[in-house]
Amino acid sequence: MNRILLIAQREFMAYAKTVGFWLSLLALPLFGVLGGAVPMLVRGADPIRAVVLIEEGPAATGLAAAVKNVLEADTERQAERTREAAEKAAAASGAPPGAAESAIASIGRQRMRFVDAPADLSVAAPGAAQDAVVRRYLTDDTPKDQRLDAVVFLTRTPEGPAARVWAARATDDTVEDFVRRALRDENRDTVLREAGIDRGVVERVDDFRPEINVFSPRSAGDGEVSFKDRLPGIIGLGFSFVLWSLIITGASILLNSVMEEKSNKILEVLLSSASATEILTGKVLGVAMLTLSVLVVWGGIGAVGLITAAPSTAADVASVLMADGLIFYFIGYMVGGYLMYAVLFAAIGAFCETPRDAQTLMGPIMMVLVVPLLVVQMALVNPDAPAVKFLSWVPFFTPFLMSARAPSGPPLIEIIGTMAGMFAVALLMVWLAGRAFRAGALSDVKLSWKSFGQAISGGGR
Amino acid sequence: MAALTLDGVSKRYGDFQAVKDLSFQVRKGAICGFLGPNGAGKTSTIRMILGLQSASAGTIDILGASDGRKVRDRIGFLPEERGLYKKMTPVEAIAFFGSLKGLPASEGKRRAREMLIAQGLGASQKKKMKELSKGMAQKVQLIASVVHRPEFVILDEPFSGLDPVNQQGLETVIRDLAANGATVLFSTHVMQHAERLCDQVVLMARGRKAFDGTVTEARATSRRFLELEGEISTEAVAALPGVTGVEVVSDNGGVRVLKGALASGARGQEALKTAFISGLDVRRFELKEPTLHDAFISLTGDHPDEDQSVARPASTPEIAR
Repeated sequence: MNRILLIAQREFMAYAKTVGFWLSLLALPLFGVLGGAVPMLVRGADPIRAVVLIEEGPAATGLAAAVKNVLEADTERQAERTREAAEKAAAASGAPPGAAESAIASIGRQRMRFVDAPADLSVAAPGAAQDAVVRRYLTDDTPKDQRLDAVVFLTRTPEGPAARVWAARATDDTVEDFVRRALRDENRDTVLREAGIDRGVVERVDDFRPEINVFSPRSAGDGEVSFKDRLPGIIGLGFSFVLWSLIITGASILLNSVMEEKSNKILEVLLSSASATEILTGKVLGVAMLTLSVLVVWGGIGAVGLITAAPSTAADVASVLMADGLIFYFIGYMVGGYLMYAVLFAAIGAFCETPRDAQTLMGPIMMVLVVPLLVVQMALVNPDAPAVKFLSWVPFFTPFLMSARAPSGPPLIEIIGTMAGMFAVALLMVWLAGRAFRAGALSDVKLSWKSFGQAISGGGR
Repeated sequence: MAALTLDGVSKRYGDFQAVKDLSFQVRKGAICGFLGPNGAGKTSTIRMILGLQSASAGTIDILGASDGRKVRDRIGFLPEERGLYKKMTPVEAIAFFGSLKGLPASEGKRRAREMLIAQGLGASQKKKMKELSKGMAQKVQLIASVVHRPEFVILDEPFSGLDPVNQQGLETVIRDLAANGATVLFSTHVMQHAERLCDQVVLMARGRKAFDGTVTEARATSRRFLELEGEISTEAVAALPGVTGVEVVSDNGGVRVLKGALASGARGQEALKTAFISGLDVRRFELKEPTLHDAFISLTGDHPDEDQSVARPASTPEIAR
């Protein structure tokens, strides 16, 4: 036992001392923060464009006002949606409504304002002279406080309203898109008006949003489905992805660690000091501690963040995890899944000195590992789909698929059966991998399906 | 009393017979050279002694145990292909391997520092292994294999890759280990080390034992020979009493160096006397004792530097018990 702990400790420390470990430890929280903050920062940093609208000719009269009306309507609609979203977020999370509203508002604010046309631009004769003035106002030739971001010339053609948009930056299509939408609305209003349909009728039709309430017999409370009812599925799916990521990361660390020891000729020295089982167990344990540390840190940061930002959601998550011992299922699937893949990867590593050597077996294994990733999303919508149920019984997929299915309350027989199958295969893998590890550690043969099979079956004894 | 006994040990990898019917004993406190060319079966035998591989037939007794794994804490092992964790310091590496053998970490570190200083590596104690030269790293690995003061030390090709100065240092280490009561078994294909160090040699060729005894006994299996220099013919030397198998070593404008074996019981002085009486132009006459190298060739018909591993199949992974 002492040797196992010594090997586990060395394995843990060897990685815990590396910069890569600390980077991976901080990566998820960092990306989480960046993922949320960056869009807000980008939006916040996006300048409000100064736009001039000019109607060209008497036929265009009213188009500028129509475009301005669309912007005002957008602003009002945005404000309304912001209020609604903030109220929903506050209700779901338990956070004060003000915080959510300001965050949502910062994303949804308008990106342009209309300004009066400068005098020289208003009086410039259409044609080359007018274009020259426009160019001047859109470039650095004009002081910053008087500079424009876009000038829009509105006209009316026999087909309908049209525009010529001058933009300071050729790649910025914000004004172009807005004007296109505004003129399309204006054209629609005109066409409907000419057809005798009142504008108010059109607005009522457009603004209608049917209220839909979803009910399910599996819903808690009065049967109406709420976010709280969807939370278990989301947690299951999330855990399944995290589990997949942790298992692949841990198993890959083991593969590389064993390969390094093989190429550095350390395995034979280790084997003279400890049994293959002790070495394998120690290494698997050491890397498990490593991945567990990552999980604890990620989980801890996530929990603190959730409790701070959305205390009621945090309470819901906690109750889901504790309900029917879901957390213990997750732990079981994590242990079984990690064991199966970790020992397999370690055994493969014992035959290899470089990642290229490992490709022969790793390629097909990684292809198989993609299957649960594809199926697990189906499990969220329909956890009882025949394909999902069938694949849940395949021990190599069980940890990922059953993690996603467990919150939806599958039959107990399926939970017990799949878990028993998974642990049976995990134990078989430990035994087989132990044999392959011993053989690979002392062998100089190149890894192939044949040599791996011979090692497992005891060939050459 | 024997520290190691092999009785009829064989090892087979698929169709390839690596070791066949090998029997020998090593007494406690002895230095035993396990000699033979590459591929003669030395490493396979060592792995069987350590319990890393199982014997296909026969029995092994080491330190009173039938399985080397049962007494692994009392054995020190330096494998042929060497390596340590590159990011560890020598002290950490030595203490780690010592702790795997049951040595407390603090004691391991204390001994590591002491032994590194004794081996002239005091200044490299805090460097990473990857910063050390190959010779330094080999010394560290040797220390790591004996830091727990084992009763039985097995060194697989310990001299390979070392410069002459370090080879001499290693010979001293091996003598010191034996002087402190440890039994040492080391494999090599360089006979000179064995001649200088060993109380006992076991010669291996093509998986079989060719000889087991002392260096003197090994030499005695080969004939002494004469070396003569002068303007002399092969025929004239072959006519000398007791001289057989004459061959030309060199020919420098008629001045030749000739070498001939002395028949069993023949005396070199008789041959010299006859040469003078015959009026041969002998400018140098030397009576040479056979070396272990000569003995090996005489016993096996093979050369100890040749590679005998070519027949070993590469597709047979080994599995231990």
